[in-house]
Amino acid sequence: MTLSAEPPVRSGLDGDVALAAAGDSSAFERLYRTHVAKIHSLTRRMLGTHEADEVTQDIFVRTWQKLGQFRGESAFSTWLHRLALNVVLERRRTFAVQRERMTDDPTAIDFVTVAPARADLVVDFEHAIEQLPAGAREIFVLHDVEGYKHREIAAMLDITSGTSKRQLHRARMLMRKHLQGE
Amino acid sequence: MTVHDEWTDKLSEYLDGELSGDEQRAVEAHLHGCADCSLVLADLKRVVARAQQAGAVARPPSADLWSGIAARIDAGRSATERSAKASAERAANVTPFRATAARRFAFTLPQLAAAAALVAAVSGGLVWSVVERAAPRASEQLATAAPPAAPAAADPSPDVPDAVDRIAPVGMADAQYDAAVSDLEKALKQGRGRLDAATIAIVEHNLQIIDQAIDQAREALAADPANTYLSGHLVEARRRKLDLLRRAAALTSETD
Repeated sequence: MTLSAEPPVRSGLDGDVALAAAGDSSAFERLYRTHVAKIHSLTRRMLGTHEADEVTQDIFVRTWQKLGQFRGESAFSTWLHRLALNVVLERRRTFAVQRERMTDDPTAIDFVTVAPARADLVVDFEHAIEQLPAGAREIFVLHDVEGYKHREIAAMLDITSGTSKRQLHRARMLMRKHLQGE
Repeated sequence: MTVHDEWTDKLSEYLDGELSGDEQRAVEAHLHGCADCSLVLADLKRVVARAQQAGAVARPPSADLWSGIAARIDAGRSATERSAKASAERAANVTPFRATAARRFAFTLPQLAAAAALVAAVSGGLVWSVVERAAPRASEQLATAAPPAAPAAADPSPDVPDAVDRIAPVGMADAQYDAAVSDLEKALKQGRGRLDAATIAIVEHNLQIIDQAIDQAREALAADPANTYLSGHLVEARRRKLDLLRRAAALTSETD
């Protein structure tokens, strides 16, 4: 006699999300393939290419572990994005580099290179984002790319809104230099 | 910082509408007469537009990361399964009669407390349910089957299954507990053909809930070994599993 102990598929959740929440790894792989580009782009912009692969894997493993807590009250993509951002910020705190990153560096203006003449302007722009000093980069990504407000960023990064505004302006001025080369 | 830099530094906040009314009007007045600042403002607008454009484009990683994710998921699942099956695997020739949970669960302390209450509730419900289901079937068998062989004269209490007699009472030490659980699972496996499917489903479902509670308590205790609440919760969950197995094994004999 064989008895199944598979967790029941939860109602109220969309197809693959419900299946994955019930332990279906094939459904979870489909979710991964649907969302990986957006999640990897977030981690790449926030942390840089060298950390993006590892952190993206961390995010999806964490997602698998926490799927049971997803109630379907928001879109899965919204819930996943927030979870991803939490993992990124947790990573940032773990390495305890916040204070150093927020220190104004007058030489930072030289970090962002002038754009070469290339066809793929989006890739060039992303490459320029990666060259920003870490503190300015995080705030530029959160504000101008992801659309968060200064007060939200301040709460996330445990800084003041004034610091967030100054770092954003600094990042924009550096990126301006990049665009002048196009 | 020059006077001009002070104006330039306000341009991002001006662009984002973050300045007060007076500051906003002052910057606008300055921009009317300053070609340099107007040029910087135009560039900043381009930067913001390009950032929004970049945000709308998502690029996948250059390498497929799924294999690494799948390996970590499988490793986590295997660890959970190993913990859940440890008792059964120590008993030779005993095949566990249920699948373990397919994925890991993470509970907070309040959730563990709620789980304990749930286990108590379903265990109580189970007793009523399985007795209700098993009794009529046993009566039907007695009415239709050929007369059974006479019980051995040495058996003073045919209502109490041998398997249960052999293991009771039992302490909660790991080796003793695991041996008792293995014996009862073996007895239940051998006698499950005598139970109807609905009864077995109830038993399996409740064992699964209890095992999840046990697994989670063990995991939480590994992180916080001195937590007396978790220790008590684990002992209670193990006791309930033993009790449930005993009652289920007893039913297989009662329906003979």
